[in-house]
Amino acid sequence: MNAPFYKFDLFGFDVSLIIAFVIGIGFGFALERGGFGSARILAAQFYFTNMRVLKVMFTAIVTAMIGVFYLSYIGYLDLSLIFISDTYIIPQVVGGLILGMGFIIGGYCPGTSFVAFSTGKKDAIVFILGVTFGIFIFAELFPFIEDFYYSTNMGRVTLPDFFGLSYGMVVFLVVLMALGAFAAAEWGERVMAKKGESK
Amino acid sequence: MKNYIINLSGSKKLAMVGLILGLVAVLLGNPYDNTFAKVNVKALSVESIRDSEIINVKELAGWIIEGRVDYRLVDLRDEEAYKEYFIPTAVNIPTSKLLESNLMRNQKILLYCEDNIKAAQGWFILKANNYKGVYILNGGVDSWKDEILFPNISANASPEEKAEFDKMVEVSEFFGGSPQVGETEGEKEIKMPKIEMPAAIPMNTGGGKPKREGC
Amino acid sequence: MTALTHILSKVKLQVTDKEHTHSHVEAKPYSNPYYVGFGLGLVLLAAFVIMGRGLGASGAVSSVVTVGVNAVAPEHAQNNGYFSSYIGDGSVSPLKDWLVFEVLGVIFGGFLSGMLAGRVKGGVEKGPRVKTRTRFIFAFIGGTLMGFGAKLARGCTSGQALTGGALLGLGSWAFMLAVFAGGYALAYFMRRQWT
Repeated sequence: MNAPFYKFDLFGFDVSLIIAFVIGIGFGFALERGGFGSARILAAQFYFTNMRVLKVMFTAIVTAMIGVFYLSYIGYLDLSLIFISDTYIIPQVVGGLILGMGFIIGGYCPGTSFVAFSTGKKDAIVFILGVTFGIFIFAELFPFIEDFYYSTNMGRVTLPDFFGLSYGMVVFLVVLMALGAFAAAEWGERVMAKKGESK
Repeated sequence: MKNYIINLSGSKKLAMVGLILGLVAVLLGNPYDNTFAKVNVKALSVESIRDSEIINVKELAGWIIEGRVDYRLVDLRDEEAYKEYFIPTAVNIPTSKLLESNLMRNQKILLYCEDNIKAAQGWFILKANNYKGVYILNGGVDSWKDEILFPNISANASPEEKAEFDKMVEVSEFFGGSPQVGETEGEKEIKMPKIEMPAAIPMNTGGGKPKREGC
Repeated sequence: MTALTHILSKVKLQVTDKEHTHSHVEAKPYSNPYYVGFGLGLVLLAAFVIMGRGLGASGAVSSVVTVGVNAVAPEHAQNNGYFSSYIGDGSVSPLKDWLVFEVLGVIFGGFLSGMLAGRVKGGVEKGPRVKTRTRFIFAFIGGTLMGFGAKLARGCTSGQALTGGALLGLGSWAFMLAVFAGGYALAYFMRRQWT
């Protein structure tokens, strides 16, 4: 069991920063390839005309999830050393709702806004300024919302723990759900396309 | 059938692979089920516990005095023995609870018991579960008592031995022990003085400051 | 061999076919989303295996904001519960942070991919029915909400949804559902901007 490499001290903090840069390149490259540098494509997700966001996100999640499962099964990867943040269920749901609204209003999420910025989109710059402002406001308001922020801490809970299912079963169910979502997305896109043509 | 598979688009092939892997995953269950472990018995039989994995009590005493926090000292004995006395900075984790504990695979774990038996057992259990840095305190509490808490020296020892002994006196008193000079051979029961825990030693909770690793 | 080329031609057809039927989106040859997702998943997996952590984005902005506020008003920053957690003991700059370097990589990687596909050009992403100025206003508002929501939820879509989702964290999945819910809920009201 040698992975995660960093946690087993195979290299130090400074090298990890270089690795961060390289991984970031891969991340940004993939995002741009997928068309996520364009706010119109990102927003199209919410109008069912272009369901790329769902397809890319879930494929990525399923890929990484399966990878993690099998690598830890064969004993190569130590799952307990990978960082999972605690579950603060209410702030996370509320934050998610706010984020979703910001997504459709602003047209980006933080990661994709950087990609759009790198390909020259001016609205991405404005968006990033907005994110900066939003974080600033959050920090300023922090003393007032601190209690809410730390509320409903369920600790480190994973879906298998919560539903009482085995890890493998949850992996399977997620794969099924993703495939179902993809099928629905393909169907939805076709329906919307026909509607578009008949307009 | 073969033609059908070949004619599927690339995405559909990915989907099929994903589905198959998912099905297999259900059968495999839990990757971190600790009941069974795969042990490379050949490797283990060839190498016994290496010298580098055996720590002697004097070294440990040095670490504690220096205030090192890069290791976790584990007392494998039962609760009563631990309550009576434990080596400073040790946590009490009986062998049966080793795998459920919060010991991490990338930590330096130093095991001890009364002598070496439980420690070797614990060493094996941890190594079989892919813990990397597992060490044994040679001689356990017995050695600790003999060498650190109650070091003794015979009355007609050589000057070098006396010098050695003087160094140990300081260490011994740091840990609340009492060094003895003179003949102790032949005495069956050395009356154990009440051992006081040195107050100043910080408890090693292990792990250090958790680094922020979120988004 | 012929079977392989047959498959490849089918894939190409699928991609271009999709783009043709979308009159709202320009016909740019973006890659197949499933392949992109697979690649992204591998990048994420690499992060897990190498670093024992996932990806992220909003955290980098937090670090930058912290440095900015600390430079302008250090006492205020250090007294604030949130900023101080980024400042730590002051010995290391918050900018020397994994996420900051990762985001720099994201910008570079996006640029690289854009250059290779001829997609690097300025402009503003917006629907046909709205003015640029309106779009900017919305972008700013949206960004603000995003920043706030991301901090509240301890992550944005990259960190919580992708990373936490792959690791099957309960909060992450709940977060993901909430994001989609929030987006779809407001989609009707925002249709002017996009369609």
